[in-house]
Amino acid sequence: MKILTGNELLSGAAVYLDAGGRWGGEVQRARVFGAEDGDALEAAMGESVASGRIISIEPETIELRDGAIYPLRIRERIRAEGPSAPRLNRQTLAEDDHVSI
Amino acid sequence: MYRYDEFDAAFVAERVEQFSDQVRRRIAGELTEDQFRPLRLMNGLYLQLHAYMLRVAIPYGTLSARQMRMLAHVARTYDRGYGHFTTRQNIQFNWPKLRDVPEILADLASVEMHAIQTSGNCVRNVTVDQFAGAAADEIIDPRPVAEIIRQWSSLHPEFLHLPRKFKIAMTGAPNDRAAVKFHDIGLMAQANRSGEVGWAVYVGGGLGRTPMVGKLINGFVPHEHLLAYLESILRVYNRYGRRDNKFKARIKILVHEEGLENIKGQVEEEFAHIRGGILTLPEEELDRIGAYFAPPEFEDKGVVRIDVEREKILDPAYGRFLSNNTFPHAQPGYTAITVSLKPIGGVPGDATAEQMEAVADLAQTYGFGEIRVTHEQNLVLPHVALADLRAVYDGLAAAGLAEANAGEVTDMIACPGLDYCALANARSIPIAQDISRRFAQPERAGEIGKLKIKISGCINACGHHHAGHIGILGVEKKGTELYQITVGGDGTENAAIGRILGPGFVADEVPDAIERLVDAYIVRRESADEPFIDAYRRLGDGPFKEALYGNG
Repeated sequence: MKILTGNELLSGAAVYLDAGGRWGGEVQRARVFGAEDGDALEAAMGESVASGRIISIEPETIELRDGAIYPLRIRERIRAEGPSAPRLNRQTLAEDDHVSI
Repeated sequence: MYRYDEFDAAFVAERVEQFSDQVRRRIAGELTEDQFRPLRLMNGLYLQLHAYMLRVAIPYGTLSARQMRMLAHVARTYDRGYGHFTTRQNIQFNWPKLRDVPEILADLASVEMHAIQTSGNCVRNVTVDQFAGAAADEIIDPRPVAEIIRQWSSLHPEFLHLPRKFKIAMTGAPNDRAAVKFHDIGLMAQANRSGEVGWAVYVGGGLGRTPMVGKLINGFVPHEHLLAYLESILRVYNRYGRRDNKFKARIKILVHEEGLENIKGQVEEEFAHIRGGILTLPEEELDRIGAYFAPPEFEDKGVVRIDVEREKILDPAYGRFLSNNTFPHAQPGYTAITVSLKPIGGVPGDATAEQMEAVADLAQTYGFGEIRVTHEQNLVLPHVALADLRAVYDGLAAAGLAEANAGEVTDMIACPGLDYCALANARSIPIAQDISRRFAQPERAGEIGKLKIKISGCINACGHHHAGHIGILGVEKKGTELYQITVGGDGTENAAIGRILGPGFVADEVPDAIERLVDAYIVRRESADEPFIDAYRRLGDGPFKEALYGNG
């Protein structure tokens, strides 16, 4: 299973594509693409790149643990939660930083 | 300190204006990310895990109090109130917003600072000994030549698209505190038999996935020909350096694959063509630049004797500070002070805006307005009168900057690692924090003595782990952070690359592993005066391997 993640242009914040086609900062709201959703994932990536507002877009492998999204790479778990030492808040999106495709 | 001339000021101002327009066009959708990315990188703006990161150049690690106050302003106004000083003697801000970057660069330009050539395959910031112009053991202050190299390499049309990035380090003293042999080019001041001062040139050093100690390519290049010699090296590298494989593109690979004698022959041939040409440095130009770095007007404040042993009894923290954080100065009655950015359990190299301002104030009041950044991620007040030492210490203590651990086990280098860096495979900062807490007791750290631990979160080795007496390299294996430990590295004139002694450890095991290495050293050292690295060289891997893995 995969989710789509990238960084928002103005803030650089780590963002995730949700099921409503909107990019936001909550990994748990990310749309989960199954093995059969390859075409949808490709299409969403293409539309997101075309928006010009999301950069460094990557599909990221996840699994569901008790229904929650769990990125398999440590890098992505840290990206989703913010720096660990010391624990700092993630970069915030301004209201006009949310991007729909 | 060097002051911009009209050319410097104009080109920095033009670049700010140009980048402001590029940012505007990017936000307006007139530039794609593919078009914009190389432009932002040319201005030091990276994209990291959580946000953009702006890397600001601090030429040869020298800052004025005014510039430090501006860095504090940037941290407070546009970032999260802190900055991170790096092993390249630069500063990085971890949370800038894209719209703010042109304004940040304009603010920096107002104090003669910029972020140009802090990224990309060009000549990067020249780094030097942090005690340059102050050290008692110095042959010559390297900063005037470093400034000349900065001017020569800035926007040099031939060298803006090298096969890979290119780093030059210099020391004016025989005791290398700038790790010059781990740079693409390392320069060490030398006096020849006539007493003339020039430069021994080392080439092909580096860290990263293929660590190499630089090789001596020329034992003495006079000042006047140094630029021509450097240009000759760069030209040979630019012509033959590999562009087909990013991992083999540094000059160290070229020198290794072609052999030093072959490369030397080509450099000398090139040098024969251009020697005596327009790159010859006239004495008067050297003097003109040198005047900016003239020693400050030291005052005779009378004889000041400080009884360190007595101070250790009266005020142990201050006594330790005197022992560890002061450095012999060329001027009688003065000392250079290391301001540790390694509080116990803190983030190596981080300073808050308030701390930056406190250092600026102390530099202004007691240190002729001068500040240095060290490649070991500390700050230095290079010229402090012994008579003012206590006042400076008290000022540092009030700002939380009086950790008396310079050169000790808790004075670690650590790269940002996977908490910030898009290239990292594992975290560095929490490992440094855990080791710092483990050795927090000053008596224990004092017993261990001088010991350099250096931590990198990936094989690119920004944390100089190869050059650590004890090096720690973070890797990811099957979704877990693992840490390889090396022993025996050395970043000084006796440069050496640390050796891997066995399998890696998970994060929780690292402090115990380091403690076992330390205990093995203490048990086997000849006396308390034999430092860790000397004991390792005498004893070899055996006792340290056994300490890490047992004798099974």
